[in-house]
Amino acid sequence: MLVFAASDKGGTGRSVTSANLAYQRALTGDHVAYVDFDFGSPTAAAVFDVPSALRGTEERGLHSYLEGEVTEPASIDIWRHTEHPVLRARQNQSGRLVLYPGDAGGGEFATGEEALERCIDLLLRLNSEFDLVMVDLSAGRSYAVDLVLAATAHPQMRHVSYRWLVFHRWTRQHVIAAAGLVHKENGILRSGVDRGHDENTLQGNIRFVRAAVPDPESAMWAQGSPAQAAWMQSCNRALRRLASDQHIGDSVVLGTVPLEPILQWREQLITEEDVLATQIANKETLEALEEIARRLTDDAYWGLL
Amino acid sequence: MPAPGAPPATAAPRTVLACGEVRTCLLPAGQALDSRAAAQLLRLRADERVLVSERPNLYGRSPDTLTGVDCPLPSANGARIRAVGTVAARAALTEGRVLQTSAYFTLPASGPDHRRPWGDYLVRPAVVEPLGKLPYDAVAAGLLDGGRHGDLDVGLIAGGLLTRLLRHPLLDQRPPLRSRQTRLRWVALTAPPGEAPALERFTVAEDELRTVRLRVPEDIPAADLAGLCDDLALHDWLLTTLVRVLDGIRLGPAAPGSWPRTSGDGELPPVVGALRPAVDHLLHLWMPRARVSGRLAPLWEALEERPGFTRQWLALVQRVRDQLTLHAIPPVHREVEPAP
Repeated sequence: MLVFAASDKGGTGRSVTSANLAYQRALTGDHVAYVDFDFGSPTAAAVFDVPSALRGTEERGLHSYLEGEVTEPASIDIWRHTEHPVLRARQNQSGRLVLYPGDAGGGEFATGEEALERCIDLLLRLNSEFDLVMVDLSAGRSYAVDLVLAATAHPQMRHVSYRWLVFHRWTRQHVIAAAGLVHKENGILRSGVDRGHDENTLQGNIRFVRAAVPDPESAMWAQGSPAQAAWMQSCNRALRRLASDQHIGDSVVLGTVPLEPILQWREQLITEEDVLATQIANKETLEALEEIARRLTDDAYWGLL
Repeated sequence: MPAPGAPPATAAPRTVLACGEVRTCLLPAGQALDSRAAAQLLRLRADERVLVSERPNLYGRSPDTLTGVDCPLPSANGARIRAVGTVAARAALTEGRVLQTSAYFTLPASGPDHRRPWGDYLVRPAVVEPLGKLPYDAVAAGLLDGGRHGDLDVGLIAGGLLTRLLRHPLLDQRPPLRSRQTRLRWVALTAPPGEAPALERFTVAEDELRTVRLRVPEDIPAADLAGLCDDLALHDWLLTTLVRVLDGIRLGPAAPGSWPRTSGDGELPPVVGALRPAVDHLLHLWMPRARVSGRLAPLWEALEERPGFTRQWLALVQRVRDQLTLHAIPPVHREVEPAP
């Protein structure tokens, strides 16, 4: 299955959350590819802690592959090359976890028929090799979004199942922007239909993930005044109303990742070690990530049961 | 006719090295192709027929295509030797299920110091001629290790042909099981006169890369060597793929969303669902030496001795059958709690 990770704005936690989802799925035994289509600002290597393995891939990344400069994109086996001490001790029975990095200097570029064909070749190949292919897309209505919309509408890909995750933060502006990315005039749905997608099918394959959501009940805010608590509660209610009005209410939310202090400081994977041993991460964050990772392939959350 | 004993007027310098690369993958189609569809897929050239044979198994092979090259050869000692000529490439489909592309060429011991007109190269297909003398040991090592960017890379030619075939409209892109492509690089050095062909080394270099080093008499055609290496690559891929199918099964309760996810399996136990595609599509493909020329067939003996290809295959097949037999027993009798 292909999973496309999109967001309207930067700073939504899209890359770090989707990398965590990929990691969680690999722990359960799935073979997972993480494909960095965030042209312009590739961050996956930092999240997976593979900086040195990245050297030498600068000119063989996905950007060069799509442009036809190399015939096969570079790939990095994360368990083998990560410098993260917990990841290095790969858990027994875990699946492969392979990063397809972007190029260091690659920005957006013009779409073309050949890039589309190469994109389809790549997605088909990865889909036949891996259980889950997580594709991290540049923020906004980017070239990357158009490319994968065109690829998944292509007849060659008609039997490949795909799902979209749209990440957004839990603020007024982010809710409106995320809804716009999907529903507005040149949003994902409209562009998808223009490229040959069926609107209902495409819409049925899109779910939202709310990231960095402060929980008013959390101990983190226990020091606040009663006035602050009441204000947060009412804000939360107003945001839920807004989301629902914008057609991105609870029924199309795959999950919510709580505000996690360590992710505010550093993009990284949340491991069991961080929760149990060093206790720098919150248990709720890890549980939320595990649950969203599970729901990716649970049809009950995709309107299919 | 030349006088007896005299060399022919156009005597080419003797061949000292042959090499190639084979890509092997599962055909991404829900059903295996029958012989007619296989012939259609493999029709790379309008002017030449596809070879299709049905004994001892269904096998189709495309005509050779030629790619002109003019670039440096990879070499282990960094020497830059420019070479010009043509690389042959072809595709093969076994039992309508396993697709292989194979590119190869031979190198003579030496060539003229300057590039000749193209016509001179075209009359000798699959020969790449060095400008000057060929340091064949260093080049053989360089070919196996893979060269620098810009060096002659026969794998690119095999890979390009595979990409082209995988786009064929005959393929519905519904592979019945998860698998990976493998690459097998090979070189063959010339054996001293009178010696039998030998397989000097077979290595599993990376997850997907295998290398083979042969030593063979000069008169064995490169196409036969490529045929042997296709056969090695096919069986190595079968072993690799079946090992991974068995690695992927979880004994005990299944995780949701595990492969295969097709709904057609109904209420099959997950182990049966995972092994079923191997039974349907892989187990009948094992047939070493089916299309290896007579003089090269004995090279398989070395691999049967160590590591023992067929021995491992039979053990894996037995394991698949044991698991399926076990799952024919109702769960209540099958799941035995370990005694305290």
